[in-house]
Amino acid sequence: MIDTRSARKGEEQLVVFQLAGQTYGVDIAQVFEIIRMEVITRVPKAPSFVEGVIKLRGSIIPVIDLRKRFGMPPAESTANSRIVIVEMGGMTIGMVVDAVSEVLRISRADIEPPPPMVAAVDAAYLRGIALWRERLIILLDLEKILAEKDQARLRQSKMELAEKSA
Amino acid sequence: MFSSEEIQVFLDELEEKIEILNDGFLTLERDGDNPETVQEIFRAAHTVKGSSGILGYNHMSSLTHEMENLFSLLRDGRVHSTPHMVDVLLESLDTLKMLRDEVTGETGRTVDIGPVVERLRGFRQQAGTGDDGGGMVGNGPAAGPEETAKTAFSDAVLDVIREAVDQGYGAYRVQVDIDPGCRMKSVRAFLVFQALEKAGVQVIWSEPPVDELEQGGFGAGFELLAVSEEDADRLRGILSLIAEVNAVTVVPVTALDEVGAGPVKAASAPGATPAPAGSVLDFPVKQADLLNDHKKAVRTVRIDVRKLDSLMNLVGELVIERTRLERFADLMELKYRSEEMIDTLNEISNHLGQITSDLQEEIMKARMLPIAQVFNRFPRMIRDLAHKLGKEVDLVIEGRDTELDRNVIEIVSDPLLHLIRNAVDHGLEMPEERLAAGKPRTGTLTLRAFHQESHIVIIVEDDGRGVDPDQLRAKARQMQLFDDRTLGRLSDQEAMNLIFYAGFSTAANVTDISGRGVGMDVVKNQIEQISGVVEMRSTPGQGTAISIKLPLTLAIIRALMVGLGSHVYAFPLSNVVETIHLDPAAIRMIRDSEVVVVRGEVLSLVRLGRLFRQRETGTAEKLYMVVIGTGPDRVGVVVDRLVGEQEIVIKSLGDFLGRISGISGATILGDGKVALIVDVRALLAEISGLQAHQGRVYAAG
Repeated sequence: MIDTRSARKGEEQLVVFQLAGQTYGVDIAQVFEIIRMEVITRVPKAPSFVEGVIKLRGSIIPVIDLRKRFGMPPAESTANSRIVIVEMGGMTIGMVVDAVSEVLRISRADIEPPPPMVAAVDAAYLRGIALWRERLIILLDLEKILAEKDQARLRQSKMELAEKSA
Repeated sequence: MFSSEEIQVFLDELEEKIEILNDGFLTLERDGDNPETVQEIFRAAHTVKGSSGILGYNHMSSLTHEMENLFSLLRDGRVHSTPHMVDVLLESLDTLKMLRDEVTGETGRTVDIGPVVERLRGFRQQAGTGDDGGGMVGNGPAAGPEETAKTAFSDAVLDVIREAVDQGYGAYRVQVDIDPGCRMKSVRAFLVFQALEKAGVQVIWSEPPVDELEQGGFGAGFELLAVSEEDADRLRGILSLIAEVNAVTVVPVTALDEVGAGPVKAASAPGATPAPAGSVLDFPVKQADLLNDHKKAVRTVRIDVRKLDSLMNLVGELVIERTRLERFADLMELKYRSEEMIDTLNEISNHLGQITSDLQEEIMKARMLPIAQVFNRFPRMIRDLAHKLGKEVDLVIEGRDTELDRNVIEIVSDPLLHLIRNAVDHGLEMPEERLAAGKPRTGTLTLRAFHQESHIVIIVEDDGRGVDPDQLRAKARQMQLFDDRTLGRLSDQEAMNLIFYAGFSTAANVTDISGRGVGMDVVKNQIEQISGVVEMRSTPGQGTAISIKLPLTLAIIRALMVGLGSHVYAFPLSNVVETIHLDPAAIRMIRDSEVVVVRGEVLSLVRLGRLFRQRETGTAEKLYMVVIGTGPDRVGVVVDRLVGEQEIVIKSLGDFLGRISGISGATILGDGKVALIVDVRALLAEISGLQAHQGRVYAAG
């Protein structure tokens, strides 16, 4: 099965999770921990994809909803829902996902550049796609997803403006 | 070369000494030459001279040497301080500060110490002293010729030796030879002193004197007179361990008349030294000073504020976990009743709670500094300002030991400076004007600090011309800040507070009409940024008092917790005026805004749920409002329920969220939930913006 001895060259370990029926993966090196869903304190006037904040080991960290981030239909959280805590550029951020399935080791050779239209996510946020045992895993580019919050905020306020004028 | 840390330590020390000198000079002016003050400034100048010399800041070393020489004359009563001398001393202090800026790189230009050194020397010539420090003035370390000649012990030294011997200590003459090729002789000399001090040895005399040793101003070696419990062999052992010390000779001194000058020969038996000749009175005193300074240094540690901050954070987390443990213990007790293990758990929880709160308190204390840190900067400034304006001012400082968090100190210093400058400049009258008004010629400015609950109150009070509320009303009318009706309704106290309005008192549009000058809005802003409150009270013709109330620390605040739906929000208590039970039936509409009448006054209402775009909870039966703001800006914020007051640890929302309008941070509650802290200032600004907008809309319609 999976080789657990050491990270072999040309391989990548992924934390694999589910979101709106699709399988996604992020580099395990960026994942700090995975926690169960908990009460999230909503932050007024934060961008809409920001669910709110939670406490993690005495610190306050923001939690974003990946469904909202990608413009997918919202869903109620279930017993399977998890918050994946990632660390990016010195920031710690939680991402709500439908379920975390496993940790996989895939060969870099199996990763292909993302096709322009895959699933519901804009190709700009993708690092590539990988085929693993006939399953399609979409690799997310966290840096882009998190860095582009300003643009996202802009889009959001444009939408709000459009709503108001409508 | 010296590391940046070493230079930083030097700069910190320099800062301290500059303050001591500053205070000392002003004391000289006020109280004349009192020996304690002179001794204090002498030591300060001496220390700066030594350390700046070691680091190679020769100008600084020369300047402080010159100051030290003058202080030495003052101490001996050979000159007496005059206002003119204090002026020159203050000038030399300014030069010293410029030299400091040279070190920190804050100023690019080279400071010329020549003129001020000349002026300092002038006083010495008045004293008729021919010797002027020899090679010290000018550049670089060098042995003063007048000192090398004095090689024998004074009566004072002999007294010390006699006493030491009586108490069973041994007195030793120690000759230390340093390798002639040694590049940092001063450092070696310092190490010798340090090693001796560590071994409990007291050095009561040295040749050359310590200040020269510190500068490396000696040839192949130096001589000491030490008093110690250790025997000669042990002393020799201690000193020969020091690198580049070539030879050490330790000769016991047994009989007083055997203590003499001249080099000690290795072969000389105990008690074979020549008799004393001449006097060297100054040096034992300096010696003792040096030792005292070292002892003090060992007891304190300089620590990076960031380390204290992170300690504070960790303790904050500990507090939260402690609360959780307490709740857990309660639950266990409910479930299993009293059982031995439950009792133990409770005991542990209680004990942990005690330790945690002690720890929190200790760390808080470690962050505290006396307000004197700020207050001490003012006497000089007030003196100079008063001189310039031709006013006479007595400064009274009360409660300078009152302690507060160091970051609060940093922030409060600026606004205080502003207030004091205003008081001297605009508040206090000219002497003739005061006499005409039947007041004493000299105005009094009082700085007062004291603790009040978990706050510190600082009051800047003057007995000047005061502020006339009617003038402020007129000014507000002229600026069209409010309509006449609103202005008419303002009480005198509320009218006073108009002065804090933005643009109300800026230099461009106010010239002393108020007896209070410029930039009060800036002061208010700075104070409010750290959750402080500033208030002015004044009686026309009698004076003005401005009080600043600040939290003792910025890390922990007392907050009013309110509930809105399932959420809990924290209002910093310093921003809360009062809380009132609100009957929904009492809410009236004026234009499009909800208002309520409280004690005959109309208060605008704002629904927190609407501001925060949070769904209404619908339980309109029972509401509460939290009154925030001051004067005409007072607003009632409607919430579902009041949870209570508690201390909260402030946490940032982090970089990802950045600044969220209306929220200043978050805190973790005892049950692990997160509560957001309301940014009352931003909220008030937003509300007044909204109302202005509504007003415009209304006017346009």
